[in-house]
Amino acid sequence: MINDTSKKRQVFTIRKGLDLALKGVAVEKTQRLECSTVALSPDDFRWITPKLVVQEGDCVKVGTPLFVSKTDERLRFVSPVSGTVQKIVRGEKRKIERIVVNNDQQYLSEHIENEIDATPSTIKTQLLKYGLWAFVRQRPFAIIAQPDETPKSIFVSGFDSAPLAPNYAYIIKNQLSELQEGLRILSLLTPGKTFFCLPDDCELDLSSLPKNVESRYFSGPHPSGNVGTQIHYIDPINKGEKVWYVELQNVVTIGKLFLHKKLDFSKTIALCGEGALQPMYYTIVNGGNIASIAQNSLKRPIRIISGNVLTGKVIDTDGFIGFYDQQLTLIPEGGERELIGWLLPNFKKWSLSHTFLSFLTPHKKYSFNAQLHGGKRAFMLTDVYEKVFPFDILPLQLMKACIIQDIDLMEQLGIYEVTDEDFALCDVVCPSKTECQSIIYEGLRFLYNN
Amino acid sequence: MRLKFLDKLSQTLEKKTEKGQPLHRFWALWDAIDTFAFTPKEVTTKGSHIRDTVDMKRVMITVIIALFPALLFGIWNIGYQHFLSIQTSVSFWGALWYGFLKWLPLVIVVYVSGLLVEIIFAQIRGHQVAEGFFVTGFILPLILPPDIPLWIVAIATMFAVLFGKEVFGGTGYNFLNPALIARAFIFFAYPSVISGDKVWIAEKADAFSGATPLSDIANNHLSALPSTMDMLVGTISGSIGETSKIAILLGAAVLLFTQVANWKIMLSVVAGGFLSALTFNILGGTPMAEVPAYQQLLMGGFLFGAVFMATDPVTAAHTQWGKVIYGFLIGVFAILIRDYNKGYPEGMMLAILLMNIFAPLIDYCVVQVNIKRRMKRVKIVK
Repeated sequence: MINDTSKKRQVFTIRKGLDLALKGVAVEKTQRLECSTVALSPDDFRWITPKLVVQEGDCVKVGTPLFVSKTDERLRFVSPVSGTVQKIVRGEKRKIERIVVNNDQQYLSEHIENEIDATPSTIKTQLLKYGLWAFVRQRPFAIIAQPDETPKSIFVSGFDSAPLAPNYAYIIKNQLSELQEGLRILSLLTPGKTFFCLPDDCELDLSSLPKNVESRYFSGPHPSGNVGTQIHYIDPINKGEKVWYVELQNVVTIGKLFLHKKLDFSKTIALCGEGALQPMYYTIVNGGNIASIAQNSLKRPIRIISGNVLTGKVIDTDGFIGFYDQQLTLIPEGGERELIGWLLPNFKKWSLSHTFLSFLTPHKKYSFNAQLHGGKRAFMLTDVYEKVFPFDILPLQLMKACIIQDIDLMEQLGIYEVTDEDFALCDVVCPSKTECQSIIYEGLRFLYNN
Repeated sequence: MRLKFLDKLSQTLEKKTEKGQPLHRFWALWDAIDTFAFTPKEVTTKGSHIRDTVDMKRVMITVIIALFPALLFGIWNIGYQHFLSIQTSVSFWGALWYGFLKWLPLVIVVYVSGLLVEIIFAQIRGHQVAEGFFVTGFILPLILPPDIPLWIVAIATMFAVLFGKEVFGGTGYNFLNPALIARAFIFFAYPSVISGDKVWIAEKADAFSGATPLSDIANNHLSALPSTMDMLVGTISGSIGETSKIAILLGAAVLLFTQVANWKIMLSVVAGGFLSALTFNILGGTPMAEVPAYQQLLMGGFLFGAVFMATDPVTAAHTQWGKVIYGFLIGVFAILIRDYNKGYPEGMMLAILLMNIFAPLIDYCVVQVNIKRRMKRVKIVK
């Protein structure tokens, strides 16, 4: 699997996987989007039980905690803007759905201490204090990392291979010094290595990476850009081990704090998908309201997804961009029926299998909607998952172990190495319409609770 | 392509068969007809937002398309063999029509009896009717002799669906190939209608030998063996779908090209059969063991089983290496039974059923190998 194209470059070639050619790629043009409101949703943070520390009407600054974790109050979830807490939206059983903050667009920040001495413990304290710790997540489980633990390595994926994903090289080309600083700070948190994974055809000039940060190169289809895949190929997780990972733009945010002593929660997202009128990039504050860009969409009914079409979350037209999401995808909802569709040759619909004549045009971009295209069945075609699953893990057997909740078997089959997003392509290609991501999520949750 | 009145009918019936509505007991039947007519309108609610257009209906229809060459040739061959036995010449269309009239009642009986059980179970369980039976019901007539009494077919089909599939939870949970269970049921319960020399040609004239190549050899009639060419083209007696190897290979091409069937299974069955036949050629001992290996592959239901029955993804092994082992052993056992067991000249059915039973064990071993490899990694790290 490892090709040495040059002495320095280590390239991992992913052979199993799938690049879905969706319409509506964002053009490389960026506009700043000022949001009148932003919101933080506790659901974005896996298995965090929120404890509110503000009330409606409170004044907040950038970096003021809105809620903390009930189990570990050091984990703060802070306001990305200054303004007033407009509303605390609650759902069933008074569950906190989101905390909406009115943005006064002043971006007044909490006081940032000037002397930042970069030792692991001071870095952790700083990140925790200003709410940047939430960016640091861990595998297994894809939850926010435990501040007291030490990971065996840290991963930063320098590209996103998901359908219609933003081009990170374009987004961060003017923020390289912040990125370098962010990587340097992160690398101090582990005694092991920090891996910065890049696409084989990387456009970024990263000649001088900080000490302890190593670049690795990946080629091949999605999920080559998923951090889970990269960990599996470079430094696989065994039972009891932890690996931390941070999204690229969030590394930049961390870099800004330590380099400029500034709290800046803005990020650049791609507005993309067939439904988007003008697919392009927007710089937006994290958690910002996307109503103004989502409303003028082309197709109705539309599905607005915060994130990509594989793992994203459906939001309303006046919804908010998710905490970890880097793109806003608009696809038609679908729901139309087709007469004897199972028999028609069908040139217009995409399928991985060659059962539709559309396989004759593999490079065409297809119109995808949210239709399930079939009814749910038991596992039947048992080898379809392995075509898109690049891990040395048996996907079907692992899913079955999750269904029967056999913890020993789950561990033996490699549950610690995966999270639900790694099974997203299995969702897509399964002719039995099995919800593979849900199965893995429930399995992980069961394991976590035990 | 929409027809408005069909749309309306669909909507009305959908409402009337909802839970609590008067026609709810017919929900499974209605849903089966409705999703047969129109693709379902459901959209994704969790997981990935976009999905492959393929569904099990599409997969199953592809298998049926792949079966068509074998079916068409088989239908013609029923007529051809019949008129050959009564020594009357007949046109191509005449033979086809005769065969069609023999095949049609079979397939109707199989579908009606099988779907009846399927729909009742789907309704009780609140599941949709799975498409699996469309293929089972299509394959079953092809592995039967043309003149088999219809009541036997009906009983066998119901038995296979009920005890081969539904008691285990329905399509996808069965561990034995349902079509083969039906055939095995007939084979053991009514042996006279599915073995011997008399049954393979419809309304055969008594004077004409109707023995299949397999029974000829088993009875030491080596000279009566048809030419390799005849066995390849299929102008010989036998079960409806199994005789023409060319038609079966066409079907195999469809299955492999559309990636519906696993090539590893198909190839390993053929490899297992060929290698064991070669070995038995050397060992000898029975007339059958002396038949050249390449002819063994062309005889009886070997190729049909390899292409359409061993590749059933539900009852085959589920791991990649498991599929190779599973397929290879089917080939070996089919030839072993054929060569050394006089009681069963056709070993393919029993070989596949046997390996169906062993598939989970093979998978278990392959999974353990994977687990061991992972465990080794831990030791290296520490």
